[in-house]
Amino acid sequence: MSILSIDGLAGGYASADHIVKGVSMSADAGEMVAIIGPNGAGKSTALKLAAGLLRCTAGRVSVGGADITAATPQSVLAAGFVLVPQERNVFAALNIAENLAMGAFTTPALMRQRREAVYARLPLLAQRRGALARTLSGGQRQLLAMGIALMAQPKVLALDEPTAGLSPMAAAELFATIRALAKDGVAVLMVEQNAIEALGACDRGYVLVDGRVVREGSAGGIMADEDIRRLFLGGRKAQHAVATR
Amino acid sequence: MFSSIIQALLNGLVSGTILAVPAIGFTAIFAVLRYPNFAIGSLATIGAYAGWFANLRLGWPLEASFGLAFLGAGIATLAAEWLAVRPLEKSGALMMAICSLAVGIVLENMVRFAFGNEPRGFNVPLMRDIRFGDLRISPQQVENFAVALLLMALLWAALNLTRMGRAMRATADNADLARLKGVQPGTVAAITVMVGGGLAGIGGMLVALDTAADPLTGFRLILSVFAAAVLGGLGSIPGAVLGALIIGMVEELTVLLLAPNYRTAIGFAVILIVLTVRPSGLFGERAG
Ligand SMILES: Nc1ncnc2c1ncn2[C@@H]1O[C@H](COP(=O)(O)OP(=O)(O)OP(=O)(O)O)[C@@H](O)[C@H]1O
Ligand SMILES: [Mg+2]
Repeated sequence: MSILSIDGLAGGYASADHIVKGVSMSADAGEMVAIIGPNGAGKSTALKLAAGLLRCTAGRVSVGGADITAATPQSVLAAGFVLVPQERNVFAALNIAENLAMGAFTTPALMRQRREAVYARLPLLAQRRGALARTLSGGQRQLLAMGIALMAQPKVLALDEPTAGLSPMAAAELFATIRALAKDGVAVLMVEQNAIEALGACDRGYVLVDGRVVREGSAGGIMADEDIRRLFLGGRKAQHAVATR
Repeated sequence: MFSSIIQALLNGLVSGTILAVPAIGFTAIFAVLRYPNFAIGSLATIGAYAGWFANLRLGWPLEASFGLAFLGAGIATLAAEWLAVRPLEKSGALMMAICSLAVGIVLENMVRFAFGNEPRGFNVPLMRDIRFGDLRISPQQVENFAVALLLMALLWAALNLTRMGRAMRATADNADLARLKGVQPGTVAAITVMVGGGLAGIGGMLVALDTAADPLTGFRLILSVFAAAVLGGLGSIPGAVLGALIIGMVEELTVLLLAPNYRTAIGFAVILIVLTVRPSGLFGERAG
């Protein structure tokens, strides 16, 4: 059974609650899953719904068999679903060590232990543990955001455009770090703007258009799909072609 | 002339440090709740009267009276927040600010009703000023200065060394992310309001110790508090401290040059200049 299963999830914002219109996805432990789609397709909204930040109007989300539909962010976190948001994903005014501490609610001893584990995995953070997050570069911030997420020892890690704004080299390093996490059994759900790169790194993928999954399957299968290729290279017409298939 | 300038700076240092206490309260509430709580003046008045009540009516020593000033003003702030301001949350920060102004007027008149209009002095022994050459300072000033410093040290420790303090700073910095990470926004807001209001209360008592508590104790303070917070950058605690020190000293220095009534104008002038030249203040990041 999948560690993460999302069934017919729908919802949106208070002012516009019809953004995600029934999305179903799943991920196994150790699997890397890409979510791709045009701007405004509702990728970020879908993740926020799953994480309990927005209220869903329909559907079910469960992690490791535990139902976290419409749960508080706290219980979502406790169940092992951890979201790294697309924007403002670190505490700029706090230093690195404090940022990491915000990722977990636990005893001081366990906190230190987990923090050391994160430093071991992301040595760059260890070097600058006293630095304020606002002084970090874009790539370092993404690493920190991931470090905060790891503090909660996620079973499912949802990353919203982790490589946005990074240099190709920084992006490649980040992908390597993410792959290492998956190897350790974490299910990774990754929204990416760069579809080709993301599918290259992932096992499976979902294509989201206008709040719906229009295509799913193995990463290779999606990449080979002519319509998909056009969707990400071409303009609106191609999007329409995929959406109405 | 030279020694009177030094004397003014010394007075300004003391009054600025005392001013910093309510200014921290004001800016902390802004940082977490995102609206300027203009009731802070009346809350300082409530603190002054709560402290006076403890000191004179209950016969408590000053140290314990500070506790009641903190609690009285803190609880009043929390009640005002829940009963009056919070219901307007959806209407935006401006409505909440205006509401707090109204709350301030109501509270001030409740104080008048309960305690009357005449000034109420504290039970403090009269002592000779301490002198260093031409400079003089009263022991009460020294004590108030020490209390303000101690309070700031405690607050620093609470904010930087405890989990709740960290959660408060995180919420002030990035409320959405804090919520995602399991911080309960309601708890953080309640504690911030309680502590912020409590600090205003202690600030009111510190000012009243110097003169007396009267229904306008806090009202006379509010402009300086607001100016200090704006100068330092709304929402920044170090900014509020620095802003308060500058305001305190400038106010004392102007007394040398202008009639004392013009002292009030300093607050207005500073707010005007900061908003024109550098709206984000000394330590603020956001403009406006
Ligand atoms: N806070 C909000 N309130 C109301 N509507 C919003 C809000 N945020 C996003 N939307 C709308 O929801 C839709 C989906 O946005 P979302 O951010 O989920 O898209 P996305 O697929 O993540 O796009 P991108 O690739 O640009 O990140 C868009 O039409 C957007 O305008
Ligand atoms: Mg997005």
